[in-house]
Amino acid sequence: MALPDSAALLQALVSGLLIGALLALAALGLSLVVGIIRVVNLMHGELVVLGAYAAYALVQLTGLNPLLLAPLAALLVALLGWPIERYILQPVARHGAEAPLLTTFALSIILQNLLVFLVGGDTRALDSGLGARRLGTGAVSAPLIYVIAALVALVVCAAVHVLITRSDFGRRIRASAEQPDDAAVVGVAVRRYYALTFMLAAGVSGLGGALLGMVFSFTPAAGVDYLLTGFAVVVLGGVGSVKGTLLGGLGLGVAESLGATVLGDGYRLFIGLVAFLVFLMLRPQGLFGRRT
Amino acid sequence: MNAARKPLLIAALLGALLYCLPFALGPYWQQLGLRALQWLTLAIAWNLLAGYCGQVSLGTGAFVGLGAYACALSGNQLDAPIPVQLALAGLVAAGFAALASVALFRLRGLYFTVGTLALAEALRILMVNLRTFGGASGVVLRAATPAFHQLYWLALAIAALAVLLAELLLRSPLSLSLRAVRDDEDVALQMGVRSFRVKFGVFVLAAFLMGLAGGLQALKLGVIEPYGAYGMSWTIDTVAVVIIGGLGTRMGPLLGTLIYVALSEALRNLPELHGAVAGVFLLLAIRFAPRGLWSLVARRPAHG
Repeated sequence: MALPDSAALLQALVSGLLIGALLALAALGLSLVVGIIRVVNLMHGELVVLGAYAAYALVQLTGLNPLLLAPLAALLVALLGWPIERYILQPVARHGAEAPLLTTFALSIILQNLLVFLVGGDTRALDSGLGARRLGTGAVSAPLIYVIAALVALVVCAAVHVLITRSDFGRRIRASAEQPDDAAVVGVAVRRYYALTFMLAAGVSGLGGALLGMVFSFTPAAGVDYLLTGFAVVVLGGVGSVKGTLLGGLGLGVAESLGATVLGDGYRLFIGLVAFLVFLMLRPQGLFGRRT
Repeated sequence: MNAARKPLLIAALLGALLYCLPFALGPYWQQLGLRALQWLTLAIAWNLLAGYCGQVSLGTGAFVGLGAYACALSGNQLDAPIPVQLALAGLVAAGFAALASVALFRLRGLYFTVGTLALAEALRILMVNLRTFGGASGVVLRAATPAFHQLYWLALAIAALAVLLAELLLRSPLSLSLRAVRDDEDVALQMGVRSFRVKFGVFVLAAFLMGLAGGLQALKLGVIEPYGAYGMSWTIDTVAVVIIGGLGTRMGPLLGTLIYVALSEALRNLPELHGAVAGVFLLLAIRFAPRGLWSLVARRPAHG
């Protein structure tokens, strides 16, 4: 294990930041669901993976570039989000905190196995046609698709941030999260806003998955990795805050890239998980802040 | 007859009947029985942890995997006989649980659940990458795989041990501490229950039993690799069996195992659908029978 030189470290830093923006986008949905609906969503990873497969299916159907089809893939995943929250998660909410958790676990098993049943367990990737082109000079460069995906991720994170903090819709969502009973009294349809939040979260996750699918390959079993990466981002950045999620994503992306440069690429996710566990232990109240 | 002795007698008769199964039925049934007894062992262990102590762990795969590796490596490196291999499988898993619990029990409730999942996944990735333990291709056992009926008897002995340990624990005064921690840990602490010790003890015991089930898996397959040994499917099967049967009930794991075995046999020709159907069963059980099917059968308060 030789220590890499400074050029390699700089390269790792740049790709870490680019991948980190993507990780933040893929984790944003988890942050919203945990922070606003207060459900530990174990099917989050499957929403991400579904986004990648939806884009893959759309490419097969239309022959268009996956970059153009990613928004449509996100919309499809978002549409799946509504019935899941409204008709499957809400009815078990009264059974205590563990019932929704185990319900999302069951949903993740179902979706993962249905994907294997429908498309097989093979590794797939989305070809944007831009993977070979690189941006940058000499020592430090990145594939064009990394840069484009990271830019899209930043724009979408900013848009969600504005939506949550500035719009009327966001105000109602925040009211439903912080004071559900009071919000209901003043006429906010809390349950509808929970379902809409889950829909938004699913859509953002699906978009993240479609973009990740152009950067990395994926399988139906990849969900658990995206779930745990998502938790790592959320714990690093704080729940429910878009800014925090973005910073958490960038931090994790850099940590994973530097770690992979030193230890080898197989340890990329391992580093994220260890960072997550260590962080959880240092801040055991972490995830949900005040409420547990 | 003394009322307290009746269940013991039934258990002894059932055990004797199960012991005789290989004399009457062929390899197909022996293999089915072996799988069922493995699930039963895992379910009893997880039920103690999640059902009675309230610690919902999604790390079953980690302890099964550690047991499988400890069993395989001790056989290959030390030429240990099978009982020693299995004992080491249980002890290594229990030792890892003891170490991990220092960190994991800083987390409460749902954080603990996510922490166990992350720990199991981290361990799997580590085993895939560590060349010392065979990396992604795993370990081939040098010793020949025992015959099915021998494996079956080992599985029966392990399941019987699980039943015995669970019964001893649940009939002891400690059982009340377990439930106190489950129902409200803060109140339990104020009442003088040393909640860390209680959780630690149950976690280590459950890991020991899961490690034994994993050791058995190594003996059965003759070759182990990290994706299967540490796989999520162990975690999924265990959760599904207990929730469907009845979380926090004595008979839940047994009933759940019987249903789960029937389910997996019914879908034998569609293995891809097995997971999805198991997930649907799990979903329906949480929604419509949150205390499992045993509570519907027994028609009395499940959290006894």
